[in-house]
Amino acid sequence: MDDHARKFQKDLNAGLVALVLLAVLDQTSEDLYGYEIAKRLQKANEGEALFKEGTVYPVLRALSANGLLTSRIVPSYAGPPRRYYRITDEGRAVLKDWSGIWRQTRNFVDRFIEGVER
Amino acid sequence: MTRAAPRSIEDYLKQLREALKDADPALIQDALYDAEEYLRAEVASHPEKSEADVLELIASTYGAPEEVAAAYKDTEAKVSAALRPVQPKSAQSPSAIRRFFGIYSDPRAYTSLFYMLLTLATGIVYFVFVVTGLSLSAGLAVLIVGFPFFLAFIGIARVIALGEGRLLEAVTGERMPRRPVHPGAPTGIWSRIIDMLKDPRTWTTLAYLLLMLPLGIFYFTIAVTGIAVAGALVVAPLATLADRFGWLPMEVSTIQMHPAWLASPLGGVFTVALGVVILTAVMHGVRGLGRAQVALARGLLVRPGA
Repeated sequence: MDDHARKFQKDLNAGLVALVLLAVLDQTSEDLYGYEIAKRLQKANEGEALFKEGTVYPVLRALSANGLLTSRIVPSYAGPPRRYYRITDEGRAVLKDWSGIWRQTRNFVDRFIEGVER
Repeated sequence: MTRAAPRSIEDYLKQLREALKDADPALIQDALYDAEEYLRAEVASHPEKSEADVLELIASTYGAPEEVAAAYKDTEAKVSAALRPVQPKSAQSPSAIRRFFGIYSDPRAYTSLFYMLLTLATGIVYFVFVVTGLSLSAGLAVLIVGFPFFLAFIGIARVIALGEGRLLEAVTGERMPRRPVHPGAPTGIWSRIIDMLKDPRTWTTLAYLLLMLPLGIFYFTIAVTGIAVAGALVVAPLATLADRFGWLPMEVSTIQMHPAWLASPLGGVFTVALGVVILTAVMHGVRGLGRAQVALARGLLVRPGA
């Protein structure tokens, strides 16, 4: 990726990472910690990763600070204690809103870039 | 970008810490925790590879230390901007008088005041805890239980220090660590103990807890005296007035104002105004002391970022 592409991707990711994290935590009934979440995202990635896994953690903390996720800390033998996250009702409501916005945005953008060569 | 790629988890954490060195110590701690969780899990899930081999690929999966540092700084800036209550934007900057009395609409001033009153109690508890812990450790040192007792004492002191930080964040809104300090690489129990004894933070934490008794007395005195003096000044003219009209239920003819002109209507207005000004100044002072306390706690309880 050249610099323009990278910058564009970064701007796009600003909100999308949060949306994807909410969706991942909404789809699972268990609590997940950062590494598990990062790995689930990585598995879904085809080709070059859209974002670095390290950028997932600060967004998780931000979502948690805003009440969209709750977290608990569980001691771990393999290293520092792990922080497990779960989505809150407020988070589900936000996810629903954001998904709607995303679909609308995607349809809107698709309409214009249809003819652009790949 | 010219720096060599990290070859071990410690290397990576060190570079991340360097990349974050201007950031808030608490943010650094969060970032180090997250990174270590990821790196250790990643190494553990590739038992066939060496740590160095796993770390080689880390820049393309987790991200290089600089990238990760930038992500934390960006997110923190955005979140703190979003969480900060929206200040009503007046066209001009508020006048000096407005700013002076604006302290009453600052919730942190009231919570700081509450903290000032609370520190007398917490100060006594901390002081008793440290003195008892240290003297019992010394006394029991000749027995086998002495050393484990001392270790448990230090461990509890750290938990108290974390709690104190959380309390300070709640009352002043300044960021303090949200998790215990990260223990570093898993090593033998003895090297952990030696590290803990060598860590200056262990001893500054105890110093902080001891210091909280005199500080608590000081804060408590400031808060109580300030409020009492201001309150008396505000109430005195009203009481004098009520006394003169015979509204007070009992004989309170002992209310005397010195000098006598203070008992005049003009003197009364002056006294009330003085009381209000003093009360407002006390609120500012309390808010400022709260901030100073945070600086002290950062210096003594939080391991510096570098």
